[in-house]
Amino acid sequence: MTDMTPTRPLLEVRGLNKHYPAGKRGLFGRQMMQVLRDVSFDLYPGEVLGLVGESGSGKSTIGKAVLRLVDSQSQAMRFDGRELAGLPTEDLRRLRKDMQIIFQDPYASLDPRKTIRATLTEALDTHGLHRGAARQPRLVALMQMVGLNPAFLDRRPHEFSGGQRQRIGIARALAVEPRFIVADEAVSALDVSIQAQVLNLLADLRAKTGVSLLFISHDLSVVRFISDRVMVLYLGRVMEVGPADQVHFAPRHPYTAALVSAEPSLHKAPDRIRLTGEIPSPLNPPSGCVFRSRCPYALPACATAVPDLRPAGEGRMTACIRDDIL
Amino acid sequence: MTPQAQRPGWRRLAAAFPRRMIVPSVLLAALIIIPFAAPLITDANPIRISVRERLSPPSWAHPLGQDEFGRDRLARVLYGGQISLTVAFVATSIACIVGTLFGLIGAYFRGPFQFVTTRMADIVLCFPPILLALLVVTLFGPGAVTLVAVLSVLYFPSFARIAFSEALRVSSLDFVEASRALGTPSRRILLRTILPNIAGPVSVQYSLTAAAAITIESGLSFLGLGVVPPAPSWGQMIRGARQFMEQDPLGILIPCIALTLTIYAINFFCDRLRDTLDPKGGAGDGKDTVSRPIASAVAGHTPVADAPETVAEIRDLRLDLALPGAPVTLIEDVSLRLRANECTALVGESGSGKSLSSLALMGLLPGGIRQSSGQLRLRRKSGEMVDLATLTARELEQVRGHDVAMIFQEPMTSLNPVHKVGTQMVEAIQAHRPMSAEAARKLAITLLERVGINEAARRFDGYPHEMSGGMRQRVMIAMALSCEPRLLIADEPTTALDVTIQAEIIELLRDLRRDYADGLSLLFISHNLGIVADIADRVAVMYSGQVVEEGPTDLVLRAPLHPYTRALLESMPSSHEALHSARGDRLQAISGTPPLPNARPSGCAFRDRCPIAIEACATIRPHLEPRPGERAVRCIRAPEGQEVAA
Repeated sequence: MTDMTPTRPLLEVRGLNKHYPAGKRGLFGRQMMQVLRDVSFDLYPGEVLGLVGESGSGKSTIGKAVLRLVDSQSQAMRFDGRELAGLPTEDLRRLRKDMQIIFQDPYASLDPRKTIRATLTEALDTHGLHRGAARQPRLVALMQMVGLNPAFLDRRPHEFSGGQRQRIGIARALAVEPRFIVADEAVSALDVSIQAQVLNLLADLRAKTGVSLLFISHDLSVVRFISDRVMVLYLGRVMEVGPADQVHFAPRHPYTAALVSAEPSLHKAPDRIRLTGEIPSPLNPPSGCVFRSRCPYALPACATAVPDLRPAGEGRMTACIRDDIL
Repeated sequence: MTPQAQRPGWRRLAAAFPRRMIVPSVLLAALIIIPFAAPLITDANPIRISVRERLSPPSWAHPLGQDEFGRDRLARVLYGGQISLTVAFVATSIACIVGTLFGLIGAYFRGPFQFVTTRMADIVLCFPPILLALLVVTLFGPGAVTLVAVLSVLYFPSFARIAFSEALRVSSLDFVEASRALGTPSRRILLRTILPNIAGPVSVQYSLTAAAAITIESGLSFLGLGVVPPAPSWGQMIRGARQFMEQDPLGILIPCIALTLTIYAINFFCDRLRDTLDPKGGAGDGKDTVSRPIASAVAGHTPVADAPETVAEIRDLRLDLALPGAPVTLIEDVSLRLRANECTALVGESGSGKSLSSLALMGLLPGGIRQSSGQLRLRRKSGEMVDLATLTARELEQVRGHDVAMIFQEPMTSLNPVHKVGTQMVEAIQAHRPMSAEAARKLAITLLERVGINEAARRFDGYPHEMSGGMRQRVMIAMALSCEPRLLIADEPTTALDVTIQAEIIELLRDLRRDYADGLSLLFISHNLGIVADIADRVAVMYSGQVVEEGPTDLVLRAPLHPYTRALLESMPSSHEALHSARGDRLQAISGTPPLPNARPSGCAFRDRCPIAIEACATIRPHLEPRPGERAVRCIRAPEGQEVAA
């Protein structure tokens, strides 16, 4: 939130790392691909934190790691003060009521064989919510909350458009009244006119329910509009964090600046910052700063040490030794 | 399969029992029921021997004659069928349940479970089935129970394999992840979510296996290792009749026909079942065929004065989806003129018809879609303007690639992964330009360098998977340019790419247009107005199969005339840099969704979502009216719109 009160973070992540086995099997076991390196962040109650980055930046992996849908290593990963790593299965299952996810693909995210009622009921049954006579009013309320006609409860996903399916996905996430939702490219597959509807819906839900969102997207304008703070990732590392408008309009990291300038816009003059080359393979990332191989401002010193994420004023942090020039 | 798996599937089947399933289902049901109705059909005892009447021909009492021991053949073939079918279906059912369970557990829990499932299946699959069956029967002695056991063991690995790979596929889908995120117990996810979604392939495998089991059962009985005599079975009947084949061919024919018919019925059923369960099967035939553009004479052809700068023209195009009954109009009254050296953008949301219009211009409409009116004309490099409808299929092929080329959204799928990049390029070049392989190679490398690929010679000998998405799109552009077309159609060429790579590709296209000696026109299809603003000279906005607004890009995007264009621009977050959701701001979203082509509102297609619609909009179908500044708009309220914009 813009007027952030120093409350306790809902989600605290410190030193999150994620490796995948990849590449050829060598003499000493498999090569490991590191998709997340030492990622740390806090998410406050009621806050929307935007995660932006290109493919391979690890933004979706962060979402799945904090929901414990994939295994990861971290110094600390606390939800509401409780350490998530090593939480027993039954405790984790109960905690899932508080943490939900909305997916990108409105077609793959709903079981084609289940009615909307069955999909929503599964969520309620799992946590024993709104049983018996309270069930039907709750289903109706959920449908209304996401702007769908409750008469559609007994239809199957194929009878809905992409935007409507995305609303159903949101209703499923909301069914258990979570305190935290990961929205993983939740509006990326939607047409522009529908995307605006769903963004407004998410903004309304946040305002009404105070749910915290980890909003993952590659679309900078969308992230800027919906997020309080934005975290920019490149090759699994945090490049920059800060209040959304500041990061977008006055980036402090060369990568953020390049990303913002590359974004097609109706109003901007097309003088963009040119990046050289392609995104390096996560199997063989550059030494020092991972962005240096494409950075227009790289110095020899950038190759030697990994830059720390340092405070840069106004609640901002940036990982660049050349933050003097921007 | 467990009942849970069947219930939703069968209920769905019963609700809309597909017509194509009726014949095979009735045939299969008949062939299964008839043997079990044996006591109703004949009172003869299948094992009563009557040596005096051995090999006697058909008679009233014995319609199919008597066998080498004088037993009634009709009774034997019917009762034999009971045993063959029971053994086959019981064994298949056991194999199916056990195999599916193994596969499900292996795929969902992975780790050691996956190892056990796949390795066990591998071991059993290593044995030739008939040898394994022979071995077991020799060890445990013949008989129906042994047969069932052998066949179950033989067939469970194939079920495990199919269930495993299908469950693996389904498990990776988001809705399974969503169930896990909800905390749904694993058992419930397996039985309620994954199992119903793999029921299709497993049930097809069930039918196939049942047919195979009948064959093996007959084979083993024929070898004397199956059902123990005197109990009848089809294999045994063949075995008995074989010795008297020459005196009495009927004896061997009857069980063979029974066997063939049953297996045919099962396979027929499988085939149709697979088509029915496959969601893509319904679309039916003619998918690969290409609709021919219709002759302009049919469409009421009027000769047009060709402006020399026109490179392509779509006039009054109407495309119908040919459905039994009433055809559905997908595109109506679309006209578009592409001028030399200009980039025209076609923008719209999914389903607006922008891609179909461009495919029509390539003469590449999918088979189910019919052009019911309109004209498609292209200027060839020779300067001659041709009507696509007057060209033969052969000439159309010449035009494609030579005069018009196309690049697509998905550079991953547009290149063949098993061939080297260079081989594919040389092939494309030689298809249109007679030149030696060496010359084609040189040209290909020059083109790769031109589109900004480093170390072009090395990339030429590489495979597509060694390249990133951005590089593959560059290769596609190089291939499209290999014959120096006058017109390049780019269908969402950057949608699958990262934003920094997207900017590079747009810049490349812009550079190419500038450098191209003979002039290159671009038809750029996109849903992203930001990119369109960046690259296009003119823009045509499509909504629900119609062009609703057309004009110079800067004018249309700065001062839109059509309420849809305006709403589209308003709903983009990038149009409102001062707004922020946390400050209570909301985007001006367009309410509702675009109509399906068969459910467009009367009058103006946009009226039920339009903020300025009036009553007349429901009755008047607006035309694309010209406006000053080389613009056109399809809206009866447009003049008012202009005031609003100003």
